[in-house]
Formats: sequence, structure tokens, C-alpha cells
Amino acid sequence: MIRGEHSVTRTADQDDALALKRLYASGRPRSALLDRKREFLVPTVDEIRELLAKKDLQQGAFYAVEDMAGDVRGFCSLRGAHPEVAYAELVLLLIDEADYATPLADEVYAYLRRRAFDHMQLNKLIAQCLECERGYRDLLIRHGFESAGIQRDVHYTGGRWYYLESFELFSRHRDAQGAAPV
Amino acid sequence: MPLKTDIVIRRAERDDLDTVVEWMADPDFTWFLYGDATRSPKQIREQVVGMIGRTSGQTMPGGIYLIIDSKREGPLGFLSIQKLSWRNRSCDIDLYIGKKALRNRLVAAMAAFRAVAYCFDELNLHRVGAIIYAFNSASWRLFEKLGAVRELTLRDHVPRDGQRYDAYGYGLLRPEYDAFCEAHRPLIARSDLGPPRRHETAGPPPTATEAPE
Repeated sequence: MIRGEHSVTRTADQDDALALKRLYASGRPRSALLDRKREFLVPTVDEIRELLAKKDLQQGAFYAVEDMAGDVRGFCSLRGAHPEVAYAELVLLLIDEADYATPLADEVYAYLRRRAFDHMQLNKLIAQCLECERGYRDLLIRHGFESAGIQRDVHYTGGRWYYLESFELFSRHRDAQGAAPV
Repeated sequence: MPLKTDIVIRRAERDDLDTVVEWMADPDFTWFLYGDATRSPKQIREQVVGMIGRTSGQTMPGGIYLIIDSKREGPLGFLSIQKLSWRNRSCDIDLYIGKKALRNRLVAAMAAFRAVAYCFDELNLHRVGAIIYAFNSASWRLFEKLGAVRELTLRDHVPRDGQRYDAYGYGLLRPEYDAFCEAHRPLIARSDLGPPRRHETAGPPPTATEAPE
């Protein structure tokens, strides 16, 4: 458990299924909730529970984020890390979009960054945002991520196409101007 | 007047099982819909569990593997269509020309066109994507010639022999594919690239004055 000034980051478990379901049921597409085909499938609470019970998740790949009152505000992860490729995808899923502009989000991001670059010795972090994820995008830019480009019309929902923007942050650039102090 | 409702459609949860079994055991259900009135609640329950289990949305294949063949050259390589999404009408493709001597020749370009034509004209997709490594310049140049746009540059992304290389993400949307076909209509019409599509008709479509009454 990582206890900060504004947040508690801990390994997610089966009891977090309902909070994760809230993210899926929010009606707003999130890049991190799309499957590998970039489709948005809403799992049942039982399926989420099964997913959260998987050993690889329990071993620290998927975290719940709580505020200091103990309420789950979202989830985060470093996805797809592998020593050979030396990068991972940063995932920060906050239930309330407005939370991305708060010290809670900065604190959780700082933990993930330390884990990626200092503990796992990764070369870079990548992240992805659908065009509607403005809060998440702003957080990435605020912390020095640079756009790697925009993939057009990758996801279709609600009668329209959405584009997906990818971002990168290299270990050597992590302290560049614009990155918030941690 | 706006139509507001709190009704939503969702997938069935385990907690819904008893309710659904109760509905299906009601004579009205078999009357108005289907089912055998002699079935026991246990049999209905098993049926419902089976129905719920089939609604995962994953009934379509996620990928298709096809061989690229030539009457003159024999099998040339294979086309792997991955991440095939019927919802997004999109896929990613990997095209591999197995016959090395043909890789930089016209036949490779024809194979690539055939691959994207299959995606758009047969699968009725909207977007074809590909991740191509920067050092594979023959492939990404070919994809660009087909009208694809380099949307993504992932720096230092691919490890090979102790070095990291960039990877490019390409996207080809249907309007771009249509524009390519229109621009190359005579070439496509002269080639053996399959049955004529609307781009390959002998002349322009009839104008209003020429159309039969």
C-alpha cells in the first residue's frame, strides 16, 4: 500500500468490482477500457470479479486508488511492461474526470512514474487517450508527455467515430520542464 | 418534447438468473415466444445459463489468415487480418511476402492492393491500420503509395540486435482508399485485380440528362 498525502494506492482486489463497474457503466468511452480490438465491452460484475481475482493482477499490476476517506476514486496500472521492449503503458483511470486536475492524480502519477523508471528501469512510458478524455490528456501534457500522433476513426460509439492519441515520455526526459515536481 | 427515460439495456448478471427462469417458466412465455411447457425449472435454468454465456459479443473471429496466391508465381505470402472489429469496422493487417525475390517488385504492390481491397470491398471495413517498423522502408513506402497516412511515430520502440528502432502507425480510411482507386482507375481496370468495382466502370456514371427516363 502506497500512502500519500492525498491518496492511497493499493493492489486492486475482488471487492473493487463494483467501483470498476462504475467506470464501465459511466457511458463515456475510455481508452483503457477498450479491448485489443478497441471495442468497448461492458463486463458483468462477476466477470470483473473474476478478472480482479487473477494472480497476475494480484501480484501488483493493477491498483485501486482511494482518497483519504477510503473511497475508491479510480484505478491505475503499468500495462505490458517487458524487459526486452523496456516500455509500459501508463493507465490512470479516475472515475470523476475532474479528479485528473487534482493533487490526488499528480500523486498517483508520480508513484507510477517512479515505479516505471526507478524500480523497473524502463526506457519510456506510453499512454493513450480517446479525444473525449480531456482531463487525462491534460495530466499527461502537464507531466511532460509528448504526442506521438493521432490514429483516426479507431473507435465507434454513440453514432460517431473517435480518434485515439498516443503519448510518450522517455526516462531521459522525465525531469524536463513542464513536469510537475513530485 | 424531449423523450427522457431511465430504461437501460445491459448484460444479464448472475443475480438476474432466478428472475429470468421465473419468466421463462411462466406459460405466457412459451405461448408468446417459444419453449416447451413440460420442461422443469432446472432445465430452464440450464438453458438460461447457456444463453447468458453466449452473449459475450465475441462471436465474430478476431482474426483472419489468408494466403496471397498468384497463378503465375504460386503462393506469394500471407495476409493476416488482426483486431478485426465489426463494431469499429476496422482491422490491422500484416502482409508478408514469403518469396524474397518478389518483395521489391510490382507483385508485392499488387499483393498489398489486393489485401486492402479485400478489407474494404469484401469485409466492408472503414479503416485498415498497420504498424510498420521504420527500417522496413519498402513496406511503409508501399502502404503510403496506397494512400495510407502515417499517423503515429513511436520512437525507440522496437528492439533489434541491441538497438531500438522507431515504429510507424499507418491508417487507411475508406475515403482514402476510394480516392486511390479513382486515381488509378485505368491501371486497376487493366490489371487482373478482381471483378470490377464501381471505380472500374468503363466510363463516368450517366448524368441526369443521360439517365433513362
